[in-house]
Amino acid sequence: MARRTSLPVTFVVPTIAILLVLSMVPTLYAIVIALQNRELSTPDYSWVWLSNFVDLFLDRRFLNAVWVSVKWEIVTVVATMVVAIGHGVLMFEVASPRLRNVYCLLFIIPVLLPRVSAAFVWKFAYHPLYGIATYPYRLLTGGLIFDPLSKPGTALFAVASVDVWQWGLFFAVIVLKLLETLPPQPIEAARLDHAKRWQIHAYVTLPMLKAPLISLMFVKMIESLRSFDLIYVMTRGGPGVATETLDMYAFSQGFIESGKVSYASAMAVLMMIATVITFTMLWKRVQA
Amino acid sequence: MKPGRLIGKAILALAGFLAVFPLLWTALNALKNNVDIITRVPRLVFTPTWANIGYILGRDSVLTGLYNSIVACGSAVLIGVVLGLPAAYAVARYPNRWAGDIQFFVLSLRFLPPVAVAIPLMVIWLQIGLYDTLPALIVTYSLLTISVIMWLAIPAFQSVPKEIEEAAFVDGYGAYSVFWRIALPVAARSLAGAVAFSFVLVWNEFLIALMLSSSNAKTLPIVASELSQQGMNVPWGILNASVVLLSLPPLLFLGVLSGFLNSVFRQKKT
Repeated sequence: MARRTSLPVTFVVPTIAILLVLSMVPTLYAIVIALQNRELSTPDYSWVWLSNFVDLFLDRRFLNAVWVSVKWEIVTVVATMVVAIGHGVLMFEVASPRLRNVYCLLFIIPVLLPRVSAAFVWKFAYHPLYGIATYPYRLLTGGLIFDPLSKPGTALFAVASVDVWQWGLFFAVIVLKLLETLPPQPIEAARLDHAKRWQIHAYVTLPMLKAPLISLMFVKMIESLRSFDLIYVMTRGGPGVATETLDMYAFSQGFIESGKVSYASAMAVLMMIATVITFTMLWKRVQA
Repeated sequence: MKPGRLIGKAILALAGFLAVFPLLWTALNALKNNVDIITRVPRLVFTPTWANIGYILGRDSVLTGLYNSIVACGSAVLIGVVLGLPAAYAVARYPNRWAGDIQFFVLSLRFLPPVAVAIPLMVIWLQIGLYDTLPALIVTYSLLTISVIMWLAIPAFQSVPKEIEEAAFVDGYGAYSVFWRIALPVAARSLAGAVAFSFVLVWNEFLIALMLSSSNAKTLPIVASELSQQGMNVPWGILNASVVLLSLPPLLFLGVLSGFLNSVFRQKKT
């Protein structure tokens, strides 16, 4: 449709201009603040250039937060993909078309919930004394107490389970839809060769879906960066610093504990650089 | 039936149960008195009470939060529709050499960590005196809604058969009226899904709202999260009721969004 019209310009330019302003102003300003020593308590500030960044690398709590964030990213992405592929394949194999529709509807519900709601729902459920999720444990052990959210070893996994509950089931629906779009001939051929059900999926269907599954993983990696709501409601980064991810630490440095906005901003800038570089590289690779 | 299939069905049934049960349990707890919640053995039979829901709906902070959420999300989605849909149409139908870059730029906005946006914006809004106001929140949320609506609407417009639009041009329609009268109505169903998705996204947003509001502009998620920090006696029933109130609006879109998902994958097949 190569017609001469002003439409592309009038439709695209204002929107992109607004998006550029809305995104670049805060981004550049974040860098500016990170080079100063602003605090919430006073309006005065001076330029300290890179000293916030130097301090960060000497800050053991920051290094811990980096490690927790990396752990969070790996645990949630891997678990989500495993749950999604497992349930997607199961639905494809054993559920009748009507049942599939029911499951698809049910599995979308958790991801629609506000993260705050999901976090509260599971915070109650994990309550050591009155929680519904810890009830089977109390029943089986005759009343022993299990408090997953306040043990350093389990807290991260307990919070991650909520993330997987939301995203894993939702992605299972997408995996099913992807399987349904595949042509039936290769599956039939494998069946005629006496391949077992799991072999068909491991060697035929899932390799055929490699590209969309990688895109799906990419989406999850981006969404996993948004862990703040869950952690803020469920553990506040605790016990100790066991679940303190980078955004949680930046928030508590900037707002709860000391109001060191510049320090928090330096952290945010590092996060931004790391994620933009990583995801740009990954994206180019996915597209290629 | 083979045992493998039976186990598979059992796992699926369990997953289906796990998907909805926690939420149903929360809804049930919202109807309980505190004594029925704080029990070592979960109680299924109890005398229901409307006190928790009544308390929630009677509190000014909750009503203000609800109002703020509706205004902030509604306006941001409206801005997203007005600016995002035309831009998406232009990228989909008049691709030029920047089309790929524009799409990548729109997606890359999603890479930005929310803290990295929220901290500088807080300082900026403080300086121009708009901190803790709805306009500040609306402008910030528009960044989210415009980019998400654009990202999802580009494929929706691309899936409109080109022939229909060509026919309209032959009939003497201009480029703008083709957009208004043909592309928009034909793609309407998918576009509704994209818009609903953007609404759910900002309705559920927490971190930015938390950083950009202190009292006047608090949205519902912030108010709900604060209820848990009141005093030593956690008002479990009230908390559960507030979770239910917060979760209802996104669930209203369940039908639209699952239809959207279906239409996305039906296109891929053909």
